[in-house]
Amino acid sequence: MQSAKMEPEVALLNASLVPDIFPVLAAAHKALVSKSRESLTTRTLHSELVYNYAASKHISESLKRCGISDQMSYILAVRFNASDDEMTSVTNLINGKEIDLEELEPRSNRDQILKHFKIPPQELAISSLSDAITCRIAARDAL
Amino acid sequence: MDTCQTGQAELGLLIKQGAEARVYLSSFVGRKCIVKERFSKKYRHPILDSKLTVKRLNAEARCMTKARKLGVVTPVLYGVDPVLHTLTFEFIEGHAVKDILLEFGSNGIVEERLNDIAAQIGIAIAKLHDGGLVHGDLTTSNMIVKEGTNQLVLIDFGLSFTSTLPEDKAVDLYVLERALLSMHSSCGDVMEKILAAYRKSSKQWSATMNKLAQVRQRGRKRTMVG
Repeated sequence: MQSAKMEPEVALLNASLVPDIFPVLAAAHKALVSKSRESLTTRTLHSELVYNYAASKHISESLKRCGISDQMSYILAVRFNASDDEMTSVTNLINGKEIDLEELEPRSNRDQILKHFKIPPQELAISSLSDAITCRIAARDAL
Repeated sequence: MDTCQTGQAELGLLIKQGAEARVYLSSFVGRKCIVKERFSKKYRHPILDSKLTVKRLNAEARCMTKARKLGVVTPVLYGVDPVLHTLTFEFIEGHAVKDILLEFGSNGIVEERLNDIAAQIGIAIAKLHDGGLVHGDLTTSNMIVKEGTNQLVLIDFGLSFTSTLPEDKAVDLYVLERALLSMHSSCGDVMEKILAAYRKSSKQWSATMNKLAQVRQRGRKRTMVG
């Protein structure tokens, strides 16, 4: 379980749980707002993003499920306000091949997403996975 | 931290003000959105006021997500801010059912479209009620027909609550009936079409229908002599 490294600080998400970039942006927005108010729940801005994406109140479980583990081979790296140099060092951190964001959709694990976010079939009929996840990210603290 | 395009403390372009909240147009990470700000009631004690407003905010967010889980189309929730007392939703392109029906009233009814809308309303309310959710403010201005897909979207869950009582469901329908009668009587008996769709989709319609008959009676008896 790892979601934030020392240098450069970056959020590492299990990309199989990401069908689309929008929910990640929503989680990022939320993290940024919390940071600006000095009310982060986790220790860093980037780990907050992972925690927010999981749409659960359980911190360590969220970081474990949505963050990465040693065996994981499909990762989404997210960094706030990244300069080109910083992105290069992030790429160097990860031993792998960088692919396009468009590959998120086909490579996502639909069943795992449905299970993790507990999306019922009635909801799927009227909404995309991305929207369902975004709703849960937004409403987590209201539940 | 602001979610708007215009300034620091501003939430966006004000497009509507209601009794409970102000509605702004803004953008959320690039997408057009609606920011609903529940304003504080100055006559209340400030601490109490803040707590109450946040409670209502959370209730609205919860009811919306519950409605989605039941298969009712609502705008996607983008964010909830307890400090600014705001909810940020997806912007739905389209016309409110109120405007569509008013247009029918003045320019003539498009039968097929009316039937489609009425059926969708009935089905949506049936799903809500069967799931134990009461909308609380069913009026034609709280329903939007999405541009392109013609899908009915229910908005404004600010007065909604969970209840399985047929009484609450009946009152929910009655509010809609009164709204239709007062504003859209020129469109014919829309309520009957809605109720027909409701009966077809709901599993617990009979108790609710019986109660509705009772509520209607009560509503008409304005002189409570006795």
